[in-house]
Amino acid sequence: MTVGTPARPRGLSLRRLRFWREGGSGRWMLLAGLAVVLLLAIATAASLLAPPPGAFAGSLMERWKAPLEAGYLLGTDQLGRPLLARVLAGMPWSLGIALTAALISVGLGTLAGLVAAWVPGFTRRAILRLVDTVIAFPSLVIAVTVIAVLGRGFWPLALTLGLATWPIAARVVYAEAMSVARRDYVLAAQLAGVGGTTILVTHVLPALRPTLLVMLAFTFADMLIAESALSFLGLGVPLTAPSWGNMLSESREYLVEAPWMMLVPAGAIVLAVVALNLVGDGVAAISRRRARDLA
Amino acid sequence: MSRWRAVGDVLLRRAVELAILLFAISTLLFFLLRLSGDPAAVLAGEEADPATVALIAERYGLDRPLIVQYLQYLASTLLLDFGESLRGGLPAIWMVLDRLGSTLLLSFLALATTIAIAVPLGAWLGMRPDAAERKVVNGGVYVMQGIPGYIVGLILIQVFVVELRWLTSIGISSWTSWILPSLTLASFLVPKMVRVLAANVSEALREDYIRTARACGATEREILWRHAVPNALLGATALIGTQFAFLMSGALVTEWIFSWPGFGALLIESVDRLDFPVVQAAVFVIAFLVFAVNAVTDVAFRLIDPRLREQRP
Repeated sequence: MTVGTPARPRGLSLRRLRFWREGGSGRWMLLAGLAVVLLLAIATAASLLAPPPGAFAGSLMERWKAPLEAGYLLGTDQLGRPLLARVLAGMPWSLGIALTAALISVGLGTLAGLVAAWVPGFTRRAILRLVDTVIAFPSLVIAVTVIAVLGRGFWPLALTLGLATWPIAARVVYAEAMSVARRDYVLAAQLAGVGGTTILVTHVLPALRPTLLVMLAFTFADMLIAESALSFLGLGVPLTAPSWGNMLSESREYLVEAPWMMLVPAGAIVLAVVALNLVGDGVAAISRRRARDLA
Repeated sequence: MSRWRAVGDVLLRRAVELAILLFAISTLLFFLLRLSGDPAAVLAGEEADPATVALIAERYGLDRPLIVQYLQYLASTLLLDFGESLRGGLPAIWMVLDRLGSTLLLSFLALATTIAIAVPLGAWLGMRPDAAERKVVNGGVYVMQGIPGYIVGLILIQVFVVELRWLTSIGISSWTSWILPSLTLASFLVPKMVRVLAANVSEALREDYIRTARACGATEREILWRHAVPNALLGATALIGTQFAFLMSGALVTEWIFSWPGFGALLIESVDRLDFPVVQAAVFVIAFLVFAVNAVTDVAFRLIDPRLREQRP
């Protein structure tokens, strides 16, 4: 069976090098974005393993220190808690909820998109109609309404956000899968008698990898914005949790005394969102370039 | 003839979508409310005594079988009867419609601001996308896209209200308090709009009719403003249609930051107080509004642009 096995590149590193050599401008976006995302991932893991000291208890003597004042890198808040520790302790909440929601959203969307692409007739029409309908409705309104019933916390928030946004991924995956499903090798597999589910999982899904990666990065960024917006509105994570949205919400009271209380979590959100957008745009640019080179 | 038929098709399609959505939302709310515990207790509020809970259970027919409750609920929803607000006792739908004007005013101001900022910037960027200074602006637009609207709002308050003391940030009473909410809500759309306009202008500039115009001796300025930009605006208006839902999400947050008395702020207050009749009425009104705007832009396009009439939506 030498015919069926594709020619494997000799080493993984070699392939990566080619990726880099032929990546164009997208590779710099990807590199810059990945560097920040990696830092954020390490910081999140660290703050989960060893909760940063002072994130929950401060001394009133130390309150409203400006950044760099008295040894506080990012200053302190109204209770004298160092903002650096608060931002770190907020990562598992903000980034964790956003990532979970993005995985739910892209996962559900992929499932719906693949089914719609593979099963014609009523199923396809029903899924596409549902997708069109939900996309046209403000997702934050859906989220706020469901939270009214489900309550606050990590899982309700992640589930709600994932459920409110999956149609965007579904639409993209559907369009991509439709074009993949018309390719010769899919037809060949069908003629060889391979089952539908197997074709979807082993032939169509791998072809969608770049698209899924791009979707995941953008959705992650959107979910981060949505999560902090909900926390900012007082409808997100429990009020005592140091999520970035909660920190912003608290900072509204002290804009006069301590503007850095707003700027620090705001900077964290913007940094993470821009980094994730860079990763998404970078991967998209590289795969577009590769598709063009192959054509 | 075929023109009006296309319009009819679009309206019918939108109406079906709206009906599906409203049905899905009502059903979801009905069952979520019952799954999450005793709906009478939720409806009565957190501090209600057992007598009030029992009264509410009787008034809303919560002691009857589930299927009867559901059908009755659907029937009253169909008549836009969402019940009375749990605070104040006014009909929920009136409380929401009362706020409609403020939200529409804010959306209109934000759209006007978006167009005023994005059209010149997009036209300028689209003219020659490879020039060095445009790359810097492009980078700026890229970062702007990563800044959530509520952060823009907070920064605007910090600069113009707290530091400079030029403007006020609360309420709707004077025009000085209109500027910051409009700018904040506009910031949700401006980056997207700039990117679409820049792409459309640079694409339009490569079209044949531009070459014809140039050959006929039109100046660069005329070509840009009379030929390329109007064509690009068509695409930008389509963006307003598809992004109106996003604008409503933005209005929710913007109204909350600036205490703007629209139905977005009302929705958030009602969710916070677990005032379900008002929540539901607000969601219905928002759904109507979003679908009305989408239908209007759809119809407008089919009337304006003959190319769109041919293809199915």
